[in-house]
Amino acid sequence: MKLAGLSTVGAVACNIFPDREFQEQSPLRIPEDMVTGVDNWYATTARGGIETEGLVIRVMEGRAKKVEGNPLFPTNQGAHSMRSEALLQELYHPDRIPSPMRRVGARGSGQWEPITWDDALNTLRDRLSGVSNRNQMLMVTNSMRGSMANLAQSFAQAYGGRSAALDLMHETVAAQVVRDLFGQDRMPVFDIRNSEYVLSFGADFLATWGSPIQFSKGYGHFRQGEGRSRGTLVHVDPRFSLTAANADQWVPIRPGHEGRLALSIAHVIISEGLGSAAAVNAMTGGNRNVLEAYAPERISHELNIPLIHGKSPVDMIKEIAHDLASHGPRSIAIGGGSAGAHTNGYFNLAAIYALNFLVGSVGQQGGVILNPPAPTPEFGAFLNPTTVRDWQGIRNDIAGGAVRLVMVRGADPVHSLAALDFAGAINRDDVFVVSFATVPNDTSHMADLILPERAALEDWGSDVPNIGPGFQVVGIQQPVVNPLPEYDPMGFGDVLLRMAAELGIANKAPLNHVTFADVLKDHARGLQALNRGSVRNASFDAFWNRLLQQGGWWDEGSRGAAPPAAPRLADIVAMARDAVISGPTGGNTFNLLAFPHISLTDGRGANLPWLQSTPDPITSVAWTTWVELNTDTADLLDLKEGDYVNIEGPNGRSFTARVYHHPAAPKDMISVPMGQGHRNAGQYAAGRGANVLEILGLPVEERTGALAWSSTRVRLTPAGRNDSIPKFEGIVPAFQLSEHEAIVKVTNEG
Amino acid sequence: MGALIPPFIPKKLFYLSLALGGLLSIAISVLVGVFVIKAWWGTPFEVFGWAGPPEQPIAFPHTTHVKIDGINCAFCHRGVLSGDAATLPAVEQCLFCHQTIQGQNAPPEIAKLINYFNEGQPINWEKVHRLPDHVQFAHEPHVRFLTETRGLNIEAACSTCHGNVRDMVEVEQVRRLKMGDCVDCHRNNLDATENKDITDCTACHY
Repeated sequence: MKLAGLSTVGAVACNIFPDREFQEQSPLRIPEDMVTGVDNWYATTARGGIETEGLVIRVMEGRAKKVEGNPLFPTNQGAHSMRSEALLQELYHPDRIPSPMRRVGARGSGQWEPITWDDALNTLRDRLSGVSNRNQMLMVTNSMRGSMANLAQSFAQAYGGRSAALDLMHETVAAQVVRDLFGQDRMPVFDIRNSEYVLSFGADFLATWGSPIQFSKGYGHFRQGEGRSRGTLVHVDPRFSLTAANADQWVPIRPGHEGRLALSIAHVIISEGLGSAAAVNAMTGGNRNVLEAYAPERISHELNIPLIHGKSPVDMIKEIAHDLASHGPRSIAIGGGSAGAHTNGYFNLAAIYALNFLVGSVGQQGGVILNPPAPTPEFGAFLNPTTVRDWQGIRNDIAGGAVRLVMVRGADPVHSLAALDFAGAINRDDVFVVSFATVPNDTSHMADLILPERAALEDWGSDVPNIGPGFQVVGIQQPVVNPLPEYDPMGFGDVLLRMAAELGIANKAPLNHVTFADVLKDHARGLQALNRGSVRNASFDAFWNRLLQQGGWWDEGSRGAAPPAAPRLADIVAMARDAVISGPTGGNTFNLLAFPHISLTDGRGANLPWLQSTPDPITSVAWTTWVELNTDTADLLDLKEGDYVNIEGPNGRSFTARVYHHPAAPKDMISVPMGQGHRNAGQYAAGRGANVLEILGLPVEERTGALAWSSTRVRLTPAGRNDSIPKFEGIVPAFQLSEHEAIVKVTNEG
Repeated sequence: MGALIPPFIPKKLFYLSLALGGLLSIAISVLVGVFVIKAWWGTPFEVFGWAGPPEQPIAFPHTTHVKIDGINCAFCHRGVLSGDAATLPAVEQCLFCHQTIQGQNAPPEIAKLINYFNEGQPINWEKVHRLPDHVQFAHEPHVRFLTETRGLNIEAACSTCHGNVRDMVEVEQVRRLKMGDCVDCHRNNLDATENKDITDCTACHY
């Protein structure tokens, strides 16, 4: 008789504990290197939407447990971002696509039938060979780099189809300015670590701009490094970003006028004989009045800079100019982010970066250090992001029937290009959409064929960080675990290679390999042949092992080129434009600044709950979209925190989001983070928040065609409902404990 | 009190049944108490399905494999010299022999084993020795100490805690394996240099 009691069997029979609590499973096959209870750490790299980080992953019994930064990797040096941390959730995501899927209902109805890989690959091959004109194939990817980019580019070329890269986080304008001013295809690295004075315009480099982990590490030393005096950070930005909060001086500015401020600072430096004399001579061509029109007295009233600590804008500009010049060459002017995201963004950034030449910090320690090119052309491959202007053309081609086959990987154009109605463009019977995805996204929901892709921690790859540390670095990505047995994914590279073989276009490298790992090994041979750097060995096997062990290869001896000649200020003045902010006019209209979310970036992290639950560093809001509205303005409009408002854009579309009272928001501007508003991207992203990208109207920067996400004006109307906004800060407003401790000091009324 | 006695029951009978009921309650309480205390401080009595060997998905007899065939403990429980858990052998390992040995004693059991492998299913054994979740026990240092420092052979080392497994048709827990058991063994059988007095709680509770 077995009564329910203290025996395990009894307890199980009672259903107090689940059966598996009392069971121990013997594995099916003998594990190779697995020792229970002992962890292994595997090095890899991942690019969480912003910049590549070298990582080490703790793996126990074949399961990835923790992401940490790789202390050897020269850019992040052991630190890592939350975006890398959340890669674990991609691996074990409950919404992960288990097998290839074919659409069975109407497009977008979400009805799928699972099919075998053979079936799926045959379908893809038939579609690829079935187009009447190879140009009818469009491959949409993320802005890939390294070996995967090399393979994808080679495939598109060999096949004869089109390729486009989608990456709204890419600093296209800054990259073009760097190309023109510094003569480089790579962004330089800002040696914040050794700098004494950093003046940044719009570039939220501590949060989402450039190489935030690398810059943050440098910033720590900038502030508290031993054997040096504390550096000074001045941040110019219409919005109170994380970098603004950390700055010694936040200078709010009228959106789009950053370039004029930069030229004003330059004028002070020139007219007062500061900065590098040689540079001043070269840049002015001997004409010290070249920037006369930008003298602080002339333009400061247009910049909307408030009184700061009783200092007038003119004095503020002069002080910045004096400080920037006096600390040169260890002073840096950084421009990007909202400063470049205007219709005149190129002019703004050109003026800002020119300041570095003026104070002699280009190519100097503590200044702007140029990065060398990638060690081999294969590793240096890069799929340049297609500009928004060109996306409009592509969208029209699809809608007009010129594109019959769309392959999408690593990008979500239905979400990111919602303002172009990408979903509408592909909603045609004669367009076949193939989506390579690990977890569902809005684009895969509209696809005809879904091919489950290996997660980042399960796949091979390589990357050269765009903002390197000043010397050559190649990061290697390797699988740290196998996919769980219930998933059957295939790497994108492996699918391309299989298609190349079946289509008969696999006659030369890299398409003539069988697996993507072989491609990577082939590229690694190129590194081995250099016989320099952190990994050197005559035997390829030993070289490859060491490469994987370290997570990459770097060569501290291979530095960037010498700095080019300084630009002429007259040229920059000639390209001066006013920022055009377009949208509804009249009452209750505001300039909209749609900024990248710290963890979700442009939305690619929205399906990972750790990233959703990360509070915004300034507002502490999580899990939703919020509208940063100035406290006084909100009171005038009778809007409490949590009140829903309709935001209507220039294209007539609108979204709804909750108000957050922000004491530091400019009165005529609202800031809304990107990243939410997915419709079908899994349980953590779907139906959450709002997609601000949808209403932007897609203004473009004039010279480059890049998205000018600071250039939109919107109308705000109360929607009538209220819901408490999910945030980490308390709901009790701060109050002063004693008359001597002011919590919030208002330095400028109105 | 007298007013509570139902009128149709004789007084003597009432008081007698009350007394007997009281004694019975005390007896049951004592029994339950003894059972609980024995289970708490040691192993339960082997009644009502408490203690004793749990039923396993395959009736694996250690008697056949160890006593008759002479297989070493660590041949199957391979993790015992390298990790925390002793580990159970992979199904693949059983098939080293059983892909040819169909068995005379229990062919249905071996057929079950082969079926598990062919279906690609791991075997979910019922755990016999279960420590509470707040205790972490590592096999490797203990087995290494007993075999290298004390010079025992593997089987003797394992039997210290697991009993005479070679004679068990169904494996059951024979030693109480409570904290007192562990601490006593350390205190009684080790020298001062050999981890005799474990004063660091986090040695096992982490």
